[in-house]
Amino acid sequence: MLELKNITKVYTKGDDRFPALDNVTLTVERGDFIAVVGPSGSGKSTLLHTVGGLNQPDNGQVLYDSEDVYKMHSRKANLYRRKSVGFVFQQFHLIPYLTVSENIKVALDEPGSRSQKINELLEKCAMSQLQNKYPSELSVGEKQRTAFIRAIISEPDILLADEPTGNLDPENSRVLMSLINDFNKNRGTVLLVSHEVETTSFANRVITLHSGKVINK
Amino acid sequence: MNPLKLVLKELFYRKVSSLIIFVTVIAASTVFVAIYTLSKASENETRKIMREQGLNLYIFPKGTNLIDFYAVNNTPTFPENYIDTLSESKTFDAVRHLTGILQLKYPNWIDPNGSRHQIVVMGYKDEAIQRYLRKQELMGFDVPQGKVHIGALLSMNIPEGEKFKITGNDGEQYEFEIAQRLEEGKGMLDQGVAFHLDDLQKLLNMEGKINKIEALGCVCHDGRIKNARQQVQGIFPDLEVTEVSSIANARENQRQMMNKYGSFIIPFILIVAMLISALLFYSNVNSRKNEIGIMKAMGKSKLFIVLIILLKAFIIGLLGSFIGFFAGSFIAEYFGKEIFSFTAASIKPLWWLLGSSLVIFPVLWMISSWIPALLATRIDAAKTLSQE
Repeated sequence: MLELKNITKVYTKGDDRFPALDNVTLTVERGDFIAVVGPSGSGKSTLLHTVGGLNQPDNGQVLYDSEDVYKMHSRKANLYRRKSVGFVFQQFHLIPYLTVSENIKVALDEPGSRSQKINELLEKCAMSQLQNKYPSELSVGEKQRTAFIRAIISEPDILLADEPTGNLDPENSRVLMSLINDFNKNRGTVLLVSHEVETTSFANRVITLHSGKVINK
Repeated sequence: MNPLKLVLKELFYRKVSSLIIFVTVIAASTVFVAIYTLSKASENETRKIMREQGLNLYIFPKGTNLIDFYAVNNTPTFPENYIDTLSESKTFDAVRHLTGILQLKYPNWIDPNGSRHQIVVMGYKDEAIQRYLRKQELMGFDVPQGKVHIGALLSMNIPEGEKFKITGNDGEQYEFEIAQRLEEGKGMLDQGVAFHLDDLQKLLNMEGKINKIEALGCVCHDGRIKNARQQVQGIFPDLEVTEVSSIANARENQRQMMNKYGSFIIPFILIVAMLISALLFYSNVNSRKNEIGIMKAMGKSKLFIVLIILLKAFIIGLLGSFIGFFAGSFIAEYFGKEIFSFTAASIKPLWWLLGSSLVIFPVLWMISSWIPALLATRIDAAKTLSQE
């Protein structure tokens, strides 16, 4: 379903070069739960953004169903980000002036089309009572669950989670990981970046990155 | 999600920056409306003062010595039907309100007390309006036949209820009913009498003759006096056109100066306000980097991102210009009444300007947000959302 072929990404600052991804090749099958681990600056987030179509590599290809994501027409590339992938970030990145339900609906083309689904997910994530609250009124756990619902409301094939439990306490981490695991069990593919060993326990594959290189698959 | 809802929610969330942009639109549209309304009031004021001052172009026979015109009694005359020819000409449009006049000194008028005076007698032909023009309010004296208007100085010598008596060239005594006693300040007419042209011609035995046409021309700063001259002399080479300086000219100068200032101040204020707004929009985009980044990550198109920023500028421009129109009209009305005594009562909101403002300002503010909107589309979502 997803194939990364010889991906290289180098950041530069003045004359200094920082290889974020160095000739990374990876194949992801539908239903995979892959945990990407490694020290800070090893290129984990860059890998995730590259898969998500947000960060064009200097070399290599990201193939989704055999089509290069970075050679798609901009309209199709937008559609790929909208329908095929969903992001969850450590910092949640909720829109501060929208309520919980509005933050979820903003990810949809037609907000009215999935009311039933939104309600189900809010219920499942114990957020039903909070749907009219603003992010500033939520706990970090609630914020992350909102971000999680927003990421999966379009029923994407791949969930890209960048340190999703980094700001959460153990209880909220456990709840979120359980939700991500459920998504995976329903044939959803997960690519999760994490520092924490516990969160990798759900993964069927663990990839370690070091200085942009995959040192084990 | 509906972009309008998104924009409105963001607008209220970032109240302070939205309010500052809003104030810049209000300030710019207020200045625009106030200056424009005052400049229109000034134009009307000039027009009214010109009417008060009377006709400002004199057409004489060529060779008339203007220094002697009021002093001697034998200035050249020309046929009164010249006026009919001018008013019927289809090419003659630089001069309006053509009034044929016969104006002479009358050296031996005897007042009711038996004192002798040198007075001015003026005969006014009915005002001619070019046929192709719509009917206009008369500007010259409308003196009915058999009646006279007498100047303020003469009026002091004729008791109320008495008729105006004068001896004709034929030696006969003529009597005219005094239709109006004029107020002081009518120039030569203060010591004169205004007749209907036919009456004066008969009195002086000068039938069919006039020695002056008074008319309303432009206040000729832009070469139109030349145009008026060319048009008159194209038809009657034996006539010449003279412009009379008046307070109206000063007012016209004042109005033109105001227009000049307006044409500098309005664009200046607009450009400054737009630049301030552009900086505020830029700062707004900067503070929304995460939000825009997440929208990109969710697959929102560049068009959508441009749309929400331009829509915000449009809404602020629309509301700001609405308020600015009323503020500007109020300022124009308040200060205009102090400045323009003749047109004070007629300084009212120019409603068509509301329509124009509601179009101009939203468009201008969308232009001022255009570069920040384009910069927003170039935000690197990966960098903005990255933890590394």
